[in-house]
Amino acid sequence: MGFELNRFQGEVDEELICPICSGVLEDPLQAPVCEHAFCKTCIHEWISRQPTCPVDRQHITSAQLRQVPRILRNLLSRLSINCDNAQYGCNRTLKLDTLTSHLEECEYNPKRPLPCEQGCGLIIPKDELKDHNCVKELRTLISKQQQKFNDFQQELTEQRFIINEQKRELQLLKDFMRAMRISNPAMRAIADAMERDEVLRWSNSLTRARVTRWGGMISTPDEVLQLIIKRTLSEVGCPSHIIDDLMENCHERRWPPGLCSLETRQNNRRHYENYVCKRVPGKQAVLVLSCDNTHMSEDMMVEPGLVMIFAHGIE
Amino acid sequence: MANIAAQRIKREFKEVIKSEEVAKCAIKVELVNDNYTELKGEIAGPPDTPYEGGNFVLEIRVPETYPFNPPKVRFITKIWHPNISSVTGAICLDILKDQWAAAMTLRTVLLSLQALLSAAEPDDPQDAVVAKQFKENIDMFQMTARHWTNVYAGGPHINTEFNEKIKRLQDMGVDDHQARVALSSYNWDLERATEQLFS
Ligand SMILES: [Zn+2]
Ligand SMILES: [Zn+2]
Ligand SMILES: [Zn+2]
Ligand SMILES: [Zn+2]
Repeated sequence: MGFELNRFQGEVDEELICPICSGVLEDPLQAPVCEHAFCKTCIHEWISRQPTCPVDRQHITSAQLRQVPRILRNLLSRLSINCDNAQYGCNRTLKLDTLTSHLEECEYNPKRPLPCEQGCGLIIPKDELKDHNCVKELRTLISKQQQKFNDFQQELTEQRFIINEQKRELQLLKDFMRAMRISNPAMRAIADAMERDEVLRWSNSLTRARVTRWGGMISTPDEVLQLIIKRTLSEVGCPSHIIDDLMENCHERRWPPGLCSLETRQNNRRHYENYVCKRVPGKQAVLVLSCDNTHMSEDMMVEPGLVMIFAHGIE
Repeated sequence: MANIAAQRIKREFKEVIKSEEVAKCAIKVELVNDNYTELKGEIAGPPDTPYEGGNFVLEIRVPETYPFNPPKVRFITKIWHPNISSVTGAICLDILKDQWAAAMTLRTVLLSLQALLSAAEPDDPQDAVVAKQFKENIDMFQMTARHWTNVYAGGPHINTEFNEKIKRLQDMGVDDHQARVALSSYNWDLERATEQLFS
């Protein structure tokens, strides 16, 4: 709806009046052929009832409405209008195009948002400050947030349930694929891709580890130690199809050529720093996955990776 | 009342008051209440029509959704016209219905009504009895309309013959308006009007 005519200083040209609300045009748009201009809200309201020009009843649609010419916009922006808050004491007169920015900071605006200075710090409309009660407001806020919190909690429970259901379903699917891959080469490719993705996702969920003392590497860990590490891997979500291989590879008998003997280890020592290692939480051990270490030379890596167990020196 | 409707009506009210038609006493508008939702309009019967010399009062109700919907207008003054109900004063005029456009004003409405008095449209009637008479016996229609203008709108043409017939029916205990409606509907045939009134 347009601006009330009596808010302007001096005469306002008839061209600048909206024929619908009879106020001064606000955000004007014009009809395509006849070029009659109206406030944006006024003409949209009218067209929602009847697709015609309100002046001459030519057929028009919302999509055909156009910007008014610059000259008209300039004429409008030069008009002098009083502040919306004149009745609250603001006696400023402004050019129409600066009205909006003035209103944002007009100190006479009864609804101007101000921070409460009695302690709660909430932002409240100025005219509500005198009836404002910090405790009451904060209580409402708390109860609203409690409600929100309960809603989230509820949703979380539901989501968890759904995720568990889907995990179960996924496991069944994997079993199904494993059974199929033996006979079907296409299925084999898909299953391989899925398993690769799974390892990648898992690897990304682990944090990087830093080995400070490579010399502490245990080349022949005993059964008990292996079992402890394996349980941890399983707890942190190690994909089941690689866990056995990974554990097998923790012993020097399965290490790649570049690591398998004391001699080769000594020769390759300078390359150790290049390994990308992942933490095995809470253990003096790191995971060196082949998908993280494609940059390493072949004789330093083994599929699908290996677990290195240390006496000490893991960060 | 919605802001936009009030803003419009205030402005239109001034527009009518300042208009040249008011200066010529052709149209007039008055406020009935302070919130601009109800107004009283007045139009002069156009020259060279049976309505000449009469003043016709209109009830104008401004809806909350004005000007997106037309004002609701009806004749308070009783009038004999094919497009205006002789019973309720309801008007059949396209711009007060689906041909309304938001840029139309009280002034355009009053002027359109005045134009309607000059040019009836009997094929789109509001009052079937009047429309039938208009089409079948235009002279009779004009005399009747002129008589109604004289009695209800202060028109100058007194029809003594018609008045006497009404007097006869009044003597039989019939209310004068009832008598006029009956006689008007039967082309001032006293016998048939009496028959209808007492059947
Ligand atoms: Zn407007
Ligand atoms: Zn137009
Ligand atoms: Zn201000
Ligand atoms: Zn507070």
